[in-house]
Amino acid sequence: MGRQIAFVLALWKTNLLSAMEYRVSFLTQMAGMMLNNAIYFVFWIIFFARFEEVNGWDLVDMLFLFGVVATGFGVGTYLFGNAVRLSLLIASGQMDYYLSLPRPVLLHALASRSNASSAGDCAYGLLSFGAAVYFAGAFDILMLLRFGLGCLAAVTVLISFLVLVQSLTFWIGNTNLLTSNAFNAIVTFSLYPITLFDGTAKLLLFTLIPAAFIGALPAEFVRRFDLAQLAQICAGSAIFLFLATFVFYRGLRRYESGSAIQVRT
Amino acid sequence: MPAVSVRDLRKTFQLKQKAAGLRGSLRALWRPSFQELDAVRGISFNMDEGELLGFIGPNGAGKSTTIKILTGILHPSSGEAEVLGRVPWRQRQELAFQIGSVFGQRPQLWYHLPAVDTFYLFGKIYELDDRKLKGRIAFLAEAFEIEELLETPVRKLSLGQRMRCEVAASLLHRPRVLLLDEPSIGLDVVAKQRLRMTIQRMNDLEGVGVLLTSHDAGDIEALCRRVIIINDGEIVYRDKVSALRRRYLTVKTVDVRYNEQLPPDFALPGVEMVKVGRYGAKMRFDTRVTPVGPVIGGLAAAGSLADVTVSEPSLEEVIGAIYGQAESKDG
Ligand SMILES: Nc1ncnc2c1ncn2[C@@H]1O[C@H](COP(=O)(O)OP(=O)(O)O)[C@@H](O)[C@H]1O
Ligand SMILES: [Mg+2]
Repeated sequence: MGRQIAFVLALWKTNLLSAMEYRVSFLTQMAGMMLNNAIYFVFWIIFFARFEEVNGWDLVDMLFLFGVVATGFGVGTYLFGNAVRLSLLIASGQMDYYLSLPRPVLLHALASRSNASSAGDCAYGLLSFGAAVYFAGAFDILMLLRFGLGCLAAVTVLISFLVLVQSLTFWIGNTNLLTSNAFNAIVTFSLYPITLFDGTAKLLLFTLIPAAFIGALPAEFVRRFDLAQLAQICAGSAIFLFLATFVFYRGLRRYESGSAIQVRT
Repeated sequence: MPAVSVRDLRKTFQLKQKAAGLRGSLRALWRPSFQELDAVRGISFNMDEGELLGFIGPNGAGKSTTIKILTGILHPSSGEAEVLGRVPWRQRQELAFQIGSVFGQRPQLWYHLPAVDTFYLFGKIYELDDRKLKGRIAFLAEAFEIEELLETPVRKLSLGQRMRCEVAASLLHRPRVLLLDEPSIGLDVVAKQRLRMTIQRMNDLEGVGVLLTSHDAGDIEALCRRVIIINDGEIVYRDKVSALRRRYLTVKTVDVRYNEQLPPDFALPGVEMVKVGRYGAKMRFDTRVTPVGPVIGGLAAAGSLADVTVSEPSLEEVIGAIYGQAESKDG
């Protein structure tokens, strides 16, 4: 365990060195992503100005939600940037590199890239959380802890979900379109007030498209402590992490490499 | 115990066929359709510790597939293989601490960073002690003459410079076996020569065993004592390189051009005329039957020479010759 931590830290350091080569694009991408998120949030401000609340969710809940989701996405895709490129790596034979080095393949592959735009998400998420705390009018150190835990769960389930979907590449070849649809679905649904859904739709959000574990569940938990929710969050994260690892390594046995000429970026 | 042993190794690729788009992806999930391709068809060989073994064959022969199985990248369809006593696809991580690999078509150095940054990352990946790593980098930098290149972003290096850095990176952890897949691909003659020298030197200095693939017979001739020729997934020849040279690289082809017209019945004793034109000719002879000296002398005596090219048989021709021999033995 300690061995792998030192290794992952070294990877992240190398990613950072690599990103330094592009400082300007880093800053513009970061600003672009923050603007993007802010514009989307304006829609919800208008929405809640008219309806006050949806089945118990108000604008402050939305601030918490955006706080957790944006921070989770930001941290997740920054530290495990290849989570959005896994299908490409598998289909084009780029897993060869990770397979020829003495480290766990999935961890090595995921942590070998950092997305510049992720920093924008992260900054936006922290701002949103700050605003949520301000408007909720209640803050203690435990809330900060809950926020940390909520973001960790969001990162875990998000990355697991992306790994699961893209592991299909081992069986059916490149899944670019499926991946981008799944990515859009998980982003969209995790940023909705969960109280809008019930029945089958809600069940879907806990299983096939586990947006509830990335958004609503941790967001509610951050706002007020609830033991049952804590248990759900932990169980959900553990289950999805296990499933993703299991399916990925199952698929890896079928990995067929590739013979195209490659460039490492 | 041999460093590498391979028994009846086979690899069949299943080429996935899938209609485009989301619908195609979903349909492929339910009902995948495959076409099979036998890339490696039952090969067996051994390599000793510290040996330099050459693996040649034309493009698509199955060289890379074999190397990928030996590094644990691919699972074989059937057969056995051991590298340093380990089964690569089952003990991949353990094995990776003991071997190094370089794929000419798949760089491992981070493209936007100086090579030395990847070296330090590899140090962490291989769990090398910081002080020892520094010493090792200094040693390899000198052996590969890359001291001045280490701080330059890899994307700015020439292919030959990059390849020397690649091989150096694969040696950081003092592997006992090095698997090199077409390291000379795309290099010019001088860069090839330099790379061969450094590989030879590391073999001398540290006794690292090298399994080297190439589609260029020259690499193998320069470096290896023993060679395996693979074609279409099967081993068609294995012997000492010296034997290969004696038996198959003796046929020379000569292209000659003159400043004046040639007589139409132009001929030389012991030389087969492939084509005779007005100002030039193409011919072939076997140095075991006809020595080189008299042939060149005869060419010079025939008129005022404009140009002469002497070439050895290409790998394809050698393989053709080996096949021809195998068939005549059978029949
Ligand atoms: N990942 C792959 N998927 C399908 N076919 C492959 C794959 N890799 C190689 N092949 C095929 O297997 C054969 C052997 O390829 P390879 O081992 O790369 O040959 P070489 O390295 O000798 O040029 C070729 O016909 C090639 O097209
Ligand atoms: Mg090849």
